Amino acid sequence: MALPKRIVKETERLMSEPVPGISAVPHEDNLRYFDVEIHGPSGSPYEGEPPDNLRLRAANYMHTPFRGVFKLELFLTDDYPMVPPKIRFLTKIYHPNVDKLGRICLDVLKNNWSPALQIRTILLSIQALLGAPNPDDPLAADVAKDWKEDENRAIATAKEWTSKYAVPESK
Amino acid sequence: MGAKIPRNFRLLEELEKGEKGLGTEACSFGLADSSDMLMSDWNGTILGPPHSVFENRIYGLKMHCGEQYPDQPPTIQFIHKIILPCVEEADGKVIPSKLPCLANWKRENTMETILIELRRFMASSQCKKIPQPPEGTTYN
Repeated sequence: MALPKRIVKETERLMSEPVPGISAVPHEDNLRYFDVEIHGPSGSPYEGEPPDNLRLRAANYMHTPFRGVFKLELFLTDDYPMVPPKIRFLTKIYHPNVDKLGRICLDVLKNNWSPALQIRTILLSIQALLGAPNPDDPLAADVAKDWKEDENRAIATAKEWTSKYAVPESK
Repeated sequence: MGAKIPRNFRLLEELEKGEKGLGTEACSFGLADSSDMLMSDWNGTILGPPHSVFENRIYGLKMHCGEQYPDQPPTIQFIHKIILPCVEEADGKVIPSKLPCLANWKRENTMETILIELRRFMASSQCKKIPQPPEGTTYN
């Protein structure tokens, strides 16, 4: 069975008209399995900032700003698009709606999925979730508790994890 | 050819099945470290089958899923001492060539498949009467 047209189309569009701050590239040996990168939205604790030793260099290359880069993996099962894509973070992240294994609590990945949605819309929703953590519907109960007790401290921890783990690989 | 589920999503499925207790009561398993994003090391238990020397004993096992899982089987090791033809006497490692589901590994097999087959092996007529070390003793 060849790859369904819908998946071929979606993949082509992801490559030809990429969403700013998001990339999704299928594995050569499994076209239903994607390596995903999402940049933390600016103004969020996931935006990231260069470690001190890189700050000067970053200032010299203003056209390539440093960003928190989060890696995820995405898989389209046989039932896609009748069921949502499977997706999880590979980069450690301190966020009330993401658990220790990188699993994500997001309505469009569960009950609010519709076949009219696409890989692109799901990735945008996840990027938006980074900009708007929702501690009232938590997946990581301990993180949500921190978030509600002391938001400033939680945001500081999220920033710290971002600069520690969400570091782009040097090429 | 249908979709080929990648390692990590396959392990997440197995984890969810284990967490919800959807599997058989006689065997259980879970992640050794609940924050291990690589999901490599797992713990399993087998409840000794009835009408055998293993009855009412609980056997702990360690399972390791490498990068090639599920194309390659995991490695399995008993924590509690057990005498079985398919288990190394010195350290409790399961000998893949002597357990059919490991010797003829298929991608569809899961960790639960292995635990169930080990338990069935314990209940078989060739094994169920083998004298065993005292209950609860472990390999070092």
